[in-house]
Amino acid sequence: MILSSIHLKNFRRHRDSYITFSDELNYIVGGNGQGKTSILDSIYYLCTTKSYNSKTDGEVVSFNQNDFEITGSFKDLTQEEIRIYYSLEENKKHYFQNSKQIFRSADVIGKHPVVILTPNDHAISQGSPADRRRFVDSVISQASSLYLKNLLDYNKTLRQRASLLSQLKEAKNKNSLEQLDAWSEKLAAAGVDIINHRKRFINEFNPYVTNAYKKIMKEEENPEIIYQTINNARTELNANSFLGLLEECREEEIKRGSNLVGPHRDEFVFEINNINLKTFGSQGQQKTFQVVLRFAQFFYLKEKCGKTPIFLLDDVFGELDAFRSGKISSSLKNLGQAFITLTDMANFSFLERSRCDKVIHINKGCVSYA
Amino acid sequence: MQLAEPLQAAIEELSKLPGIGKKTAQRLALFLLKGENENVANLLKALHELKTKLRLCARCFNISEEELCPICQSAKRDDSVICVVEEASDVIAIEKSNEYYGIYHVIGGVLSPLSGIGPDTLKIKELLKRFESENIKEIILALNPDTEGETTALYLAKLIKPLGIKVTRIARGLPIGGDLEFADEATIGRAVSGRIEL
Ligand SMILES: [Zn+2]
Repeated sequence: MILSSIHLKNFRRHRDSYITFSDELNYIVGGNGQGKTSILDSIYYLCTTKSYNSKTDGEVVSFNQNDFEITGSFKDLTQEEIRIYYSLEENKKHYFQNSKQIFRSADVIGKHPVVILTPNDHAISQGSPADRRRFVDSVISQASSLYLKNLLDYNKTLRQRASLLSQLKEAKNKNSLEQLDAWSEKLAAAGVDIINHRKRFINEFNPYVTNAYKKIMKEEENPEIIYQTINNARTELNANSFLGLLEECREEEIKRGSNLVGPHRDEFVFEINNINLKTFGSQGQQKTFQVVLRFAQFFYLKEKCGKTPIFLLDDVFGELDAFRSGKISSSLKNLGQAFITLTDMANFSFLERSRCDKVIHINKGCVSYA
Repeated sequence: MQLAEPLQAAIEELSKLPGIGKKTAQRLALFLLKGENENVANLLKALHELKTKLRLCARCFNISEEELCPICQSAKRDDSVICVVEEASDVIAIEKSNEYYGIYHVIGGVLSPLSGIGPDTLKIKELLKRFESENIKEIILALNPDTEGETTALYLAKLIKPLGIKVTRIARGLPIGGDLEFADEATIGRAVSGRIEL
């Protein structure tokens, strides 16, 4: 799948930018704050309906403007135009596929698979369990719209149930216990689906991680992701055993007014040669693992979605040593279409360039080609 | 720009309607202002009658002109089967499918602790009361298949099943997260006839 062009209106520094892309590597070059990362972000928007570095849609609207618009032309077997329009006044996003409006994110995500490697990825290996869950969820959601639907359903249930638990805590209204039972049953049903899907995913994903370690980073070490969920020590989890655990924790949950059992507390432990990466890994091992996860995601999604993902690399080479950067650069060749932001082309002599690559300069939101 | 006060007020009121933003409200207000007096008078009359002539059915809480709605009054309906729905609009949707011959109970929403909607806010007590005065054999839960709708169905099933009444839920023919109101008639028809026991 190829993104052949993009048109940005009022998107951060881009008041009105039309950019055409190469089918292979696109180097987007510019100083800090000139609008190069916005281009990656706008591509991410087209593929996922969301920004990867802004919390709200309103933040990305250009200063003093009321709306933004992103239009992208994809070519796969057929031509496809994706347009996102956001209006600050309505605080609403509209998503169009070939002029037809699409209403549910589950109908969008995974249709144009995308992988992004950014300096923020350090949080995946070094941050909190929530950072790792977010990574895993973002990979599975693109591969399975059913998982995404289940996840949205589960998260909604969590919020409703937490609200009821805190009402129970304050009012001690025992009449609501029957209602709590219904929310527990819903939580268990949705939670078991999430856990089983994550289990299956980790089993499938580990070989991709191992492969990327060997093929991309050419390292002999042995990486593994270990999934830790509720009920680890016990037998096969089902909705009934989940409900049993909720039963055991009921008083504690009411006392604290929050959900204490479920996949929202899952952890994914990264290991190298059976040693915990987060605790014992060197800086270099951490970086390697982060890069490997993204390449593993790339090949996993390519297989699962049946489409070659778009690869976005945001300011990655500035962060890495020339040795790792060189390996990444050579791996990107013949991979598909990639977008790479750089502050200055001149500093990256190790990059392997080919004739089809394109260099796009961004200066104060204006585009020129080298 | 300062708008004339009556125009401002009309825009304000119109934009309170669901799905109507400020811009649409403005367009509608200007349209009404420019249009025939008669059209506005008819609209006002229709709205007034909507509010004064209609009420909720005393038995099933469907929209009604009389004490009981036409469905509750009909001798042709099987009054041993109650289909439980969220809103009166769901009754209209299911009626259009022509697949259902029982009667209804509109509970008026779904459980949502976040919005402060609990069992007491909904017409659930009223539903349980009907089991005492009516001869009910089956309850069909036709709530939207979203997070709150499914939980409300689980809650109702827990309350009703111990009473020895058969509880079914309409089959998952409907799209997940889809509103019953927007599903097409064929889908609803299939869903009602293919219901599953809880
Ligand atoms: Zn009635």
